[in-house]
Amino acid sequence: MSEKGSDGMSLEELLGRRVDRRTVLRGAALASLSAPALALWLEACQSQSSTPGNTQLTWAVPAVAKEIRQKTADLWNAQHSDSQVRLSVLPEQADQQRQQIALELNAKSSTFDVIAIDVIWTGEFAKNGWLENLDDVRSKLDGVSLPGALESAQWKGHLWAIPYVTNAGFLYYRKDLVASPPKSWDELMSVGLQAAKGQGIAPFVGQGAKYEGFVVNYLEYMWAAGGNLFNKDTSKVLFNANGEALKATQFMRQSLTAGFYAAGFNTMHEEEARITFQSGKAVFMRNWPYAVSLMNKTGDSKVVGKFDIAPLPTFSGQGSVSALGGLNNSISAYSKNKAKAKAFATFAATDPAAQRAIGEASEPPTLASVYKDLAADPVFKVLGQVLPDARPRPPVPKWNDISAAIQDQIFPAYNGEKDPAAAVEAVRKFLESTL
Amino acid sequence: MDFAKRARDSDGGREGEHRWTLSEAALARLFVAPSVLMLALVALFPVLYAGSLSLYLYDGREREGFTGIANYTHALSDERFWQAILATFTFTGSSVTLELLIGLGFALLMAQAFRGQGPTRAVILVPWVIPTVVAAQMWYFMFNIQPGFINHSLPLVPRDFNWLGQKGWTMSALIVADVWKTAPFMALLLLAGLQVIPPELYESARVDGASAWRRFLHITLPILRPTILVALLFRTVDALRVYDLPKVMTNGTFGTETLSMLVERYVVQTVNPGIASALAVLTFATVLGVSIIFVSFLSRNLLLGSRA
Repeated sequence: MSEKGSDGMSLEELLGRRVDRRTVLRGAALASLSAPALALWLEACQSQSSTPGNTQLTWAVPAVAKEIRQKTADLWNAQHSDSQVRLSVLPEQADQQRQQIALELNAKSSTFDVIAIDVIWTGEFAKNGWLENLDDVRSKLDGVSLPGALESAQWKGHLWAIPYVTNAGFLYYRKDLVASPPKSWDELMSVGLQAAKGQGIAPFVGQGAKYEGFVVNYLEYMWAAGGNLFNKDTSKVLFNANGEALKATQFMRQSLTAGFYAAGFNTMHEEEARITFQSGKAVFMRNWPYAVSLMNKTGDSKVVGKFDIAPLPTFSGQGSVSALGGLNNSISAYSKNKAKAKAFATFAATDPAAQRAIGEASEPPTLASVYKDLAADPVFKVLGQVLPDARPRPPVPKWNDISAAIQDQIFPAYNGEKDPAAAVEAVRKFLESTL
Repeated sequence: MDFAKRARDSDGGREGEHRWTLSEAALARLFVAPSVLMLALVALFPVLYAGSLSLYLYDGREREGFTGIANYTHALSDERFWQAILATFTFTGSSVTLELLIGLGFALLMAQAFRGQGPTRAVILVPWVIPTVVAAQMWYFMFNIQPGFINHSLPLVPRDFNWLGQKGWTMSALIVADVWKTAPFMALLLLAGLQVIPPELYESARVDGASAWRRFLHITLPILRPTILVALLFRTVDALRVYDLPKVMTNGTFGTETLSMLVERYVVQTVNPGIASALAVLTFATVLGVSIIFVSFLSRNLLLGSRA
């Protein structure tokens, strides 16, 4: 089997052993076993590619509005060539984002340096020891960031995250179909049904699928009816104390059966609702502010210039209420670049240019001074009305369990699969058990 | 140990023969031991560990104490567990039956020699090659009212039919997606079984005047029975453990929450290792029970086959 060339050595002479099938097979086995080891070693060398003094920060952000995040990162990167921020994009939905973050932090991985976490996870993540304590930067944020946002980044008196963007739901309405936005839900239902019939479209879209967004919508109805989950210091359960939770559940059930909710409402998340409204197929929508700039883009949107925004209604017709959302930048307890990460998170919260860029993309910033600068913008006018009344969800570590319990009971209740009174009672019992 | 000496002693004094003989059985056990050890480590250990975890009470992530079978009684008395069992068995029964029938049809088609046999086989296999999560997302877009591909393209379906938001139709959508994905897999398994049937049997039957249907009934099916049982075993065990398809398509709403989804809920969402492990052990026991039933059918069948 040895090939003898006219000059030079044959393969056998070169290797100094017989080249037969067994040797070839043995060599191949050795190579294939060592290849993965070699690859892993090379990979390990590569990942430490940042040269000393030159760190790379990884910033985990949700997929929605990632262009705005990129802007913030670009502003930082332009001024800090030695610590570049790179986005790591998480899934669209809050539940899936949490799953991803939990997987990484549970494994104590140092992949993420800065993590943009939802306001409801502060307590849970802090309790699990996943976040770095940030009490030392509080002085830079007091009086600078919005108080509601700063509140949502704290747990048990300590600061665990730095406010970044805040959020409150409001009502979108078609100003070509509805003269002025109604102030009570019942009026909204009748106006909506009327206007929709004339056009052959649906009256209302919101977030009705079984996920955290549904809990937000439900709580807005419950708060609008005057209800509460807990009392101020979370020591007593006030859920359905005067039947408000039942009223909210029954309103949702009635909305579904009367055709007030669009077909497919019970599988809608934020994006499905936005796309339906954007295609001109709904009169009213409940959504977050991010949709404004997206729906004003000609070419994609069929409702450019035809819609307006207003605070959400209540049941009494007085005042307004909405759920407080938002993102706070937290520092992973397992990050290898904590100092630089802290500096970036503080920059993202306090740099006027970065925060104004967020505001210009119609996402509510947390730097209080931006609101004065952008007072002329219609979105900010409504936000100014809505944010002071925005209610946070309880910052308790058990929030995820509570949210799951509400989803498990109220989702089937408004879909007619469970008795509303029994569902509300089951949620109340569960809330009692968390105290 | 002096193997040579034992050899001389055990085989009645055949002197001068150099044979490595423990008894055959002992030698076999020795060689199999490393694999069995690896299997036990990798496969058995998690089951035993989950079993031990399930005996403790947890509050969130914190262990509170030993409780024996409290987690099991909690799980078995929870209506949600029985709904998950119903959902899982409904899904399994319907999808495996449909997959078998359609897969058998595909296999009979693929076994024929005709022009374009190669491309036909390739096309039939395409659904199986797509990752389940990708296929699930695709079917979600097809069925969900937004963007509603099925609603807009099928003639008799109303524009706003809420496939994924109504009891009954949600499960049907899941079954359609699963059958689309896995019938090719069944077809492959059955094709392998079809190809060992000697063509002379068909020849002689045709000469005797048997119709195609009778040839199928009296030649194909009996010889194919063990293959069918093996294919059914694979698919049933897989379908009982389904997770990614309902999670992506429906998130367990309207009666589509399966056993695996229930376990995942307590592992990731509302973390409670005690209940999660108890549910995992119960799921394991269910799937093991069903597979034991199948295997006993299989061995009985093979025995019958050899006797006949």
